[in-house]
Amino acid sequence: MNSFWAEIFFVIAVSIVAGLTSWFFFSAFWAIVVVVLVLSLFTAHHFYQLTRLMRWLRQPVGTPLPKGGGAWEDVFAELHRRSREAAEERNSMKTALERFRHAGQALPDGVVILDSNQVIEWFNTTAEHHFGLSRDKDVGSRITNLLREPTFVSYIGAGQYADPLLLHPVRESGRTLALQIVSYGDAQSLLLSRDITQLEKLETMRRDFVANVSHELKTPLTVVSGFIETLLDDLSDLSEEEAKHFLGLAHEQAQRMQRLIMDLLMLSALETGSPPPTEERVALDDLLAEVTDEAMTLSKGRHQIVPTGTNGAGLLGSRNELRSALGNLVTNAIRYTPAGGTIRISWQTDDDGSGVFSVSDNGIGIENHHLPRLTERFYRVDRGRSRESGGTGLGLAIVKHVLTRHQAVLKIQSELSHGSTFSAQFPAHRVTHGAISKTS
Amino acid sequence: MPSNDHSFKRYDQELEEIRTRVLQMGGLVELQIHDAIKALSEFDLIEMERVDKNDHRINADEVEIDQTCALIIARRQPTAVDLRMLMGISKIVTDLERCGDKAALIARKGKVIFAEGKMRIPCLADIREAGEMAVGLLRTALNAFARQDAVAAAAIVRDDLEIDRKFQGITRQLITFIMEDPRMISISFEVMFIAKAVERIGDHAKNIAEQIIYITRGTDVRHVAFDQLEREAQGADEIE
Repeated sequence: MNSFWAEIFFVIAVSIVAGLTSWFFFSAFWAIVVVVLVLSLFTAHHFYQLTRLMRWLRQPVGTPLPKGGGAWEDVFAELHRRSREAAEERNSMKTALERFRHAGQALPDGVVILDSNQVIEWFNTTAEHHFGLSRDKDVGSRITNLLREPTFVSYIGAGQYADPLLLHPVRESGRTLALQIVSYGDAQSLLLSRDITQLEKLETMRRDFVANVSHELKTPLTVVSGFIETLLDDLSDLSEEEAKHFLGLAHEQAQRMQRLIMDLLMLSALETGSPPPTEERVALDDLLAEVTDEAMTLSKGRHQIVPTGTNGAGLLGSRNELRSALGNLVTNAIRYTPAGGTIRISWQTDDDGSGVFSVSDNGIGIENHHLPRLTERFYRVDRGRSRESGGTGLGLAIVKHVLTRHQAVLKIQSELSHGSTFSAQFPAHRVTHGAISKTS
Repeated sequence: MPSNDHSFKRYDQELEEIRTRVLQMGGLVELQIHDAIKALSEFDLIEMERVDKNDHRINADEVEIDQTCALIIARRQPTAVDLRMLMGISKIVTDLERCGDKAALIARKGKVIFAEGKMRIPCLADIREAGEMAVGLLRTALNAFARQDAVAAAAIVRDDLEIDRKFQGITRQLITFIMEDPRMISISFEVMFIAKAVERIGDHAKNIAEQIIYITRGTDVRHVAFDQLEREAQGADEIE
């Protein structure tokens, strides 16, 4: 403000002094001419500055300000300050926006922003994958033009978004998406998508499991109750021999159910129990001897069983679990090898300290395409044969569980009608070496 | 492109509306073909029945969209790209309806095969593969229509040749089947119809692609060599 008045006074003072001087030396006419000239000079100066300001304003944002003279100096300085502030504000807004964008991109779920006409405004990479959208082409298109599944079209049209929509896209068979629309703001909406293919698979597995367990229990139970009914109705007509025969069969079925329930309990204990101890040492010699004994009993001399030495090696872990896992592998070999076959049970310690327990047989073998599913519960290569040999369908599931808990891996090699080798590879930190005195 | 204009005027809105209707009809056709092929490979009789029953919805869509097209032309007297769009849509819905018929045909033939008690269909794997390719082509065509993308449409014309080759392969295999075992003649005929239906779906997708090039570029590319068609689809990009 001060500089404003100062400038006015300066202009007036200069004009008066120049006017008076010329009046004094020449005449009143020249005095007026000089005053007009002085004022014109000042005006020209201001116009010049104004033009520079205009030229600067037309330049793109960010062009440095020209230097001004007099009062213009202040104007330019003020403008400069403001433009710098605006630029800073813009930058911080841009960073904030960018951060939101990045957050949206990083979401594991698909997100599509739709306007009131269901036109796509923005979407993240996950949505791009889920719906096959294209970043440069699809912003500005209606979502239903690109996501044409009739169920989705009627879902978005109905306007009832309380429940999510399960969509099986035609684009990718076998994938399941859960879609949900959330309205917000000015009639805008968010389309969220989540890939629940895995979840659905798990759900199917759980359903199958329950169905399988019920089925496995129902079959022997039917047999047992059938026998009991027969005995109840015509106990007097049956000879003692016949009655014994029926009771024997019923007993067999009851035992089968018992085995199944034991296995189920074992599985659930494995699933919920605490991790196996790492300091308890299990001597492999003992374990192998026990497992071989069990095999002999089951085989009743029909197979040749060849165990090899262990050099006093041991395993660190739960004795019960390991006994059950290794026992299962051996009994499986007996069950699926015809009489006269050979079963080799061996332990081998590798140079890096890891160890492999393996059971090989020269039995019926397994076709390759069954191998990946073999450890699934109740998965059976040949339903009839497995049940008649007394299997529960849970053996390998237990083996796999136990081995996983001991950080070991189950490897299966098999050739149809040539035999199979099941090996459990234990990591070095679970294996102890040398002839340490047996502690078990 | 009308779709990029957010402040729809009444006329633009009508055009956009009809485009959306076409694409939704297309979505239904896609699903029908997909379901028909899936039902065939999974021996799902109920699904086949459903596909066959659903066909009338597609037919109704065709009639309705065609009438709307005529109405807009009469009322608005469109020119240039808008007129081409309406003319093109009127032809595209015919092709879509035929595709829908093929899906129903596949389902019906599937029912016949299962009614005869045959659980093994010769060349099923090939037919499924060709069917998936055909659905893929139709989807690409509809996407190209949604995006008004002439270049993507041109690629469809080339990919259709692949389905044609697949069809020839299936034909050859079926002939071998028939020669080996005359009892397979009747079922082979049914399979032949299914394979032909799949091949025709590819052709209809190609026709739709040609209409898209006509709509966006204004040049009729029916019955021209593929090289020229591709040039037309891309060349106009530089002019724009």
